[in-house]
Amino acid sequence: MSLDVLIRYAPSLISGFGVTVMCWGVGGALGIALGFVIALLFRLRIAPLTWALRVFVEVFRGTPFLVQLFLLYAGGPYIGLRLSATAAGVLGLGVYSSAYFAEIFRAGFAAVPVGQIEAAMSVGMTPRDTLLRVTLPGALIAATPPIVNMLVVLSKETVVLSIITVPELMYQMQTMAAETFTAFDSIFAMAAFYWLLVEATSRVGRRVEARVTAFLQEEAKPA
Amino acid sequence: MIEIRGLRKRFGAHEVLRGVDLSIAASEVVCLIGPSGSGKSTLLRCVNFLESYDAGEVRVAGQLIGYEEGPDEIRRPMAARRLRKMRREIGMVFQHFNLWPHMSALNNVAEPLRRVRGLAHAEAYERALAMLTRVGLADKAHAFPSRLSGGQQQRVAIARALAMQPNVMLFDEPTSALDPELVGEVLEVMKSLAAEGMTMLIVTHEMGFAANVAKRIAFIDEGRILDDGPPRRVLHESPEPRVRQFFQTYHDRNSF
Repeated sequence: MSLDVLIRYAPSLISGFGVTVMCWGVGGALGIALGFVIALLFRLRIAPLTWALRVFVEVFRGTPFLVQLFLLYAGGPYIGLRLSATAAGVLGLGVYSSAYFAEIFRAGFAAVPVGQIEAAMSVGMTPRDTLLRVTLPGALIAATPPIVNMLVVLSKETVVLSIITVPELMYQMQTMAAETFTAFDSIFAMAAFYWLLVEATSRVGRRVEARVTAFLQEEAKPA
Repeated sequence: MIEIRGLRKRFGAHEVLRGVDLSIAASEVVCLIGPSGSGKSTLLRCVNFLESYDAGEVRVAGQLIGYEEGPDEIRRPMAARRLRKMRREIGMVFQHFNLWPHMSALNNVAEPLRRVRGLAHAEAYERALAMLTRVGLADKAHAFPSRLSGGQQQRVAIARALAMQPNVMLFDEPTSALDPELVGEVLEVMKSLAAEGMTMLIVTHEMGFAANVAKRIAFIDEGRILDDGPPRRVLHESPEPRVRQFFQTYHDRNSF
């Protein structure tokens, strides 16, 4: 293993890592926001809308991310959607993951016991207050562990962005490997970087989980 | 206070309530007793319209719940806003407490006061704490439901309903999910409520409580009230064979 090669390529590798984290962060945030909106729209139970959302979710969960990304980046211009590689990558990650996040939020809503909602109804709470104060907190708490899990999965999906020349980590690694014939080193460095990312995500995720489920363990702070 | 007449309700092909008449005067405590599947919980849930009904009427404080009365005999579902307004005046306590797990005991009680009664923060918390004190849980005000025993959770749930200052309290098997040891503390709170003149309709299997606290026991089976009268008479000398048979097995089980 040639350490000098890694050192020489460090600036581009670090920049690639930065792009990866950015694409993952922005794409994930977009996916969570979009998925949440989709889950809320499902709750309206308007038949044509529900049907359309169902198709959306099934299409984006049922086809490979690589295919979706190609269609967006290479096919986009045909319908007037001209995006830079990075913009296409972020948008692609967001839309792709939103299908999964929508299902996670839907399951979260389903996890709130009907009795808690009946209790809100029985004291005369409005549907809006019931949603904001009872259903939503319960749903978000239930959804937190699968959201963290999905974010971990998504962090590794970012490698696919190299295919459309987003200058992220995989792309920089391949460049390095091609220019210096150091296939093993680059793969090894790749694994290290991703492990770092996933480990960091998991740790933050565990803290967030502990935080939102604090009420199961401790006493509340005085109001 | 509660007037139920000719109440009918079906779930698919099964008619759960088959013409129920029952009236509860102000400050009266009535226990609703019957075998499982008799329709007693459904009947109770019709009173605050958590369950809709198909025919007959349920009036609370003189007002029909769930439907608007038109001049033309045809009834329409009640506007949601009006239904909410009626529900504020009807307290309900559930078998499984149904506290909101992400709120402390105090917040569970204060939440409806803030959102529904529109009380200011300080006033809501003051009243909530007073209610928790009343059910003997002032020291648990900041505990989350998961840290409370079943009996304590149910007392918080009673405080939550009571804080709204309802005209009527409905209890749906309030002690059925509790360890035998914890039943007493909940019944104590209910007993003190009854002594203060609260109008109460209680679905329960606690015959001792019914005998001592209720003014009347209504026995329901297969969607019909079979007997309705003073506890002593219904428990021991009912003219209805089905009622006698039901309580006989109960007496047998408890003679030790």
